Formats: sequence, C-alpha cells, structure tokens
Amino acid sequence: MQKNRLFSFLTLLVLPILAQAQSPVSGFMNGKGNSVIAVSYSAEKYDKVLLSPNDANGVPVFNDVKVNSASLYASYGISNRFDAVLSLPYISAKGNANESVLNELGYENTRSGIQDLSVFLKYNPYNCNIGTTSLHFMLGAGVKTPIGNYKVDEGLQSILAIGNRATSFNGLAIAQVRFNDGLFLTTQAGYSLRNGQVPNALIGEIKAGYAGKHIYVDAWFAGQVSDGGVNILGEGFQGFFPATDVSYNRVGVNVYVPIAGGFGISGGLSQYLNGRNVGQSVGFSGAVVYSF
Amino acid sequence: MILSQKILLITAFAISLFGITSCVKDDQDITPSIASIAVTNADFSTLEGAAIQGGVAVVLSNANPSDPSGDYTVFAPNNAAFARLGLNTEADLAVLNDAFLTNTLLYHVSNGNLIGNTIAAGGRSSSALGPDRRFVQRGSDLYINGSKILATDIQAENGTVHVIDKVLLATGVDIVQSALALTDSKVFITPELTFLVEALVYTDLVGALVAAPGSPSFTVFAPSDAAFKQLGVDLGVALNTPADIRKLPKETVAAVLLNHVVADGGKFTSEMNGGAIAPLGGISITLGVFTNGTLTVKGNGNSMVANMIIPDVQATNGVVHVIDRVLLP
Repeated sequence: MQKNRLFSFLTLLVLPILAQAQSPVSGFMNGKGNSVIAVSYSAEKYDKVLLSPNDANGVPVFNDVKVNSASLYASYGISNRFDAVLSLPYISAKGNANESVLNELGYENTRSGIQDLSVFLKYNPYNCNIGTTSLHFMLGAGVKTPIGNYKVDEGLQSILAIGNRATSFNGLAIAQVRFNDGLFLTTQAGYSLRNGQVPNALIGEIKAGYAGKHIYVDAWFAGQVSDGGVNILGEGFQGFFPATDVSYNRVGVNVYVPIAGGFGISGGLSQYLNGRNVGQSVGFSGAVVYSF
Repeated sequence: MILSQKILLITAFAISLFGITSCVKDDQDITPSIASIAVTNADFSTLEGAAIQGGVAVVLSNANPSDPSGDYTVFAPNNAAFARLGLNTEADLAVLNDAFLTNTLLYHVSNGNLIGNTIAAGGRSSSALGPDRRFVQRGSDLYINGSKILATDIQAENGTVHVIDKVLLATGVDIVQSALALTDSKVFITPELTFLVEALVYTDLVGALVAAPGSPSFTVFAPSDAAFKQLGVDLGVALNTPADIRKLPKETVAAVLLNHVVADGGKFTSEMNGGAIAPLGGISITLGVFTNGTLTVKGNGNSMVANMIIPDVQATNGVVHVIDRVLLP
C-alpha cells in the first residue's frame, strides 16, 4: 500500500528534464492516459576545457562560456507499458572574448537557437516483486534531430555551437529496483548512433533516490564514451568540433516538490567530473511541472 | 528490506559507479600536439592567441605534410617574450597586421625534428617562412638570432618545441623594404618608422640600404616615430609629421642617419657587447651592458641612452633594432 502511494507520482518523471546530460527517459512509467508537461531552465558555466591529454584553463578565444537553456518537455502514457517522451530545448551560449579579439577574428560572443528535438518511446515489458521490493525493466528507443538552423562549422567560433547537428538513433536498456520505503535505484545503458562525422557513443546512467509523498530527491552519475572521433588540437582535428571524441562523466542531484493541483517545482545541480573535448561546466536547473 | 540487503545493493551501486568511472578514456599514453602544448600551458597564452589569429592552430595540431617525419620544430616564445613587444594579452595582438603575424609565426617553425643537442652554435636553420635563423652561443646560453633558448626538447606528437625569451622577427625583405612595410601598416596596423623613411628619401640614402648582389649587410638602429618627435622637442623644431624632417638641413639629417648604421654584417643583440662601435658616420656610438637580452645605445651627442623597443628584426641585408631615441653624432 505504501509502495503504491510512493510511486503514484506522475511527477517523478521530472527527473530527466533538468539537465541535458541526463538520459531523456526515466525509470518510471506514466500510466495510461497520464501526461506530464514541464518547462525548465538551466544555466551552466565553464572556464576549463577538458582536453586530451592535458586540460586547458581558460576557453580558447572565449575565456569562459555560459550556457543557458529553456526546454519544453512532455510525456504521455500511451498505455501502462508504453510512454512517449518529447523534449525541445532553446539554447544560448555566451562567450567572454575581448572585443578586439572578436573583431580580429570576425567572431561573436553569442550563439543561440532552437537545438534538437528528441522523441523517445519507452516500453516496460516486465516487472516483478521480490518480497516488498519491485524490479522493473524497460527498453527505450528514440531519435534526436536538429530542428533549428544553428551552425557547427564556423571554425573556432563553433566552440560556442549549441549542438552537433547530428541526427542520432538511440537505444536504451533500463532496470529499476524500488523499495517499499521510497528508495529506488535506476541504471540504464545504451548506444547512440549518430550521422555525419559525429562519432557514435556508449551512454549510461545510474540514479539513486528517494520518492516520497512530499518530496522526491535523487543523485545521478551519467557518462558518455564516444566510439571514435578526434581530439581537439590532436591528430586529425580540422577545426570541426562535431567530429571530436566527446566523452565524460557527470554527476548531479535533483529535487522535486509537488505543490498543488498537479503542479510541482524541481531544481537540480550538475557537474562534470572528467572527460575530454568538453567544457567542464557546473550548472543548476529548475522546472515547473504540470501533471494531468 | 533488511539492512544487509540494502548494504548489498549499495555495494552493487558503488561497484557500478566504479565500472562507469573506469570507462573514462586514459590520457596517459597520449602525447600532446604542438598546438595542444601552446593551448594548455599558461605561459603560452599569448602564443595561443597568436596561433589562432594567425591561422596556424589547426595546422600545428596535425602531422607536417611537408616532411617525411610528419614533424615540425617550433621555437615557442613565452608570454614574457610577447610582453617585450607590448603584447601582454591576446587582445593586444590586434595591433598586428594579420599577414605579418602569420609570417612571424612561420618564422618560428621549421620542418622535421631539430633536437636540442644537435643545435650547434654558428649553425643555421631554415624556417617555414623562408629566411634562415642562426644559432649563437653566448656564455653558457644558446640563442636563435637574438632570442635565448630557455628550454629544449618538449616532445609533441607532431614534433619538438623549444622555448625562447623573445619573439623572432623577420621581414623577408631588405632594410628599406622592411621600413616601408612598417610605414605602410604591413606590420602594425598603425604606421611606424614613417619619419625614418622620409629622412632616408630626403637624404638620398635609400639606395645604400637596398640589398643588391655583393652589397654589405648592416646593423641598423632605427628610431621610432616617437623618437623623431622627441628629437624635435629637444631641438626646438616642430617635427609633427614626417615631412617636417625637411625643415632640417639635408646634410645634418644625413649625418644623423649614418650614425645609426653599422657595416658589420648585421648583428643580433646576442652578438653584441658593451662598448664603442663605429657607425658609417664615423663618430662612435656606445652600446651599454647586455642585460636581459638587450642593450642600450647612445650617440656621442646624446645625454640619454636609447632603448631597443623592438630588437633583432632580421632583414635580408642586416638586422634592425628599433630604438626610442635618435642617436646624435
């Protein structure tokens, strides 16, 4: 009974909303006919670039970079075993280059626009109980494709590119264990096939948390390992950033509080631990969530 | 769920975390490229900006297609080297003409690996720009042109880096054309040496400094525009524009100019010592003590020394040192 109460929150689905680095699908199902819509905001900043073999303190040309994004997120329970998930972010990346440097190079301190539309389907083929603990297994498949006309081929200006313009086809396997006191653990792993020169990647995430009636919290650890690609400033690098080997580990926390009438608010923090060919950003995020 | 089961699960979680962490690629076996060394070393931040502005950052990320080894050798000026020229940040590089900056960077680069212990004093090395650089032994220090080699043999994936304390400068043209390049904003976006060029034209001395087969090479102390303006203040003659030089008697101006040219084959600061030297004008000028890669120079008629604000500029028929005061005979 307690378990049913704890996991009845559709709003648990907020957990993938908050950060781009998190998997777009969670370990919880919507339930037939149930929907979640969320609008989220995130802000990240970095002044260190994780490179291979040595990191760069200070972002070349731009010194430091702030990335702000606003995202629309929606999910719908097609049936008790099928969810559809959609997200679409608008991203603004701002550098801090000196004006004379910008003039000299013909660069700008800002790149912004609508980024990539993600559409995922999640299937929950099997659940089982072991005593008071339940196990849930899911499969996810989705496409992420650029909607906006943002550029990625502007040389070092594209340090500020808001995406990689690849269309990716993603497959995920998800397993979740839930305890009757509200604790849960979700792991997922998958592979992302990308078109163009963007290397494919292994993706994974582990998330542990507590889902109670009045609050939801989690801590997550996510990683990506690119399957190929060149290193920035390494052999084969031609100034085209989408072709680089973007690999990283990232951690974060989320918290969600239901307010009333299906509305809730959430917030999160995230930080890159290590990696290559990516800015070591730290960021926070917040969202307003409506479940119905 | 009993406590032992939870502990077991948390342990499994921790092991999983470790598993993912260990997926991070290992950087230990990767040697950085020359471009990577410049970008990731704080003491090369101005060089990084120069490589970006000069369009060679991507080139120096990759193997050298012009050499069978795939390698380059780069004499890399540190931040202090750029600061000697007033270039303290990458933003300051905007004062330089882009083509000149690119050529200057290429003058620091050569094909193949030139390993430190194979560099011999008195030897020469051709540059990617074209003009040779020459190696000079001074005491226990080795110099390339007028730049002291501070560290050798930093190994890169695509070559070798040696650190130097002064930016290497070469114009690829003779002394007169070099001065004209400065006058025409082909070096700095703001014209420089405009008074000197006007004075050379006025006194018909241009021909003497033009390179020709068999012509001698010189060391030239080239007063900056500010130096000429200061001379006007000192003499009580308004020298506000280059044409104002013509207010002075031609013979006097010629004598002053010849006081700045030494027919010694062209010497870098690394090859100079304190003491008197004889310019073409015949009246000795005096070099100060070699200190931190530079020397002062003083004319017989000066009360104050001149400083080298841009030393060691290699031209095809000599070496030019831009100074901040006109040397009076």
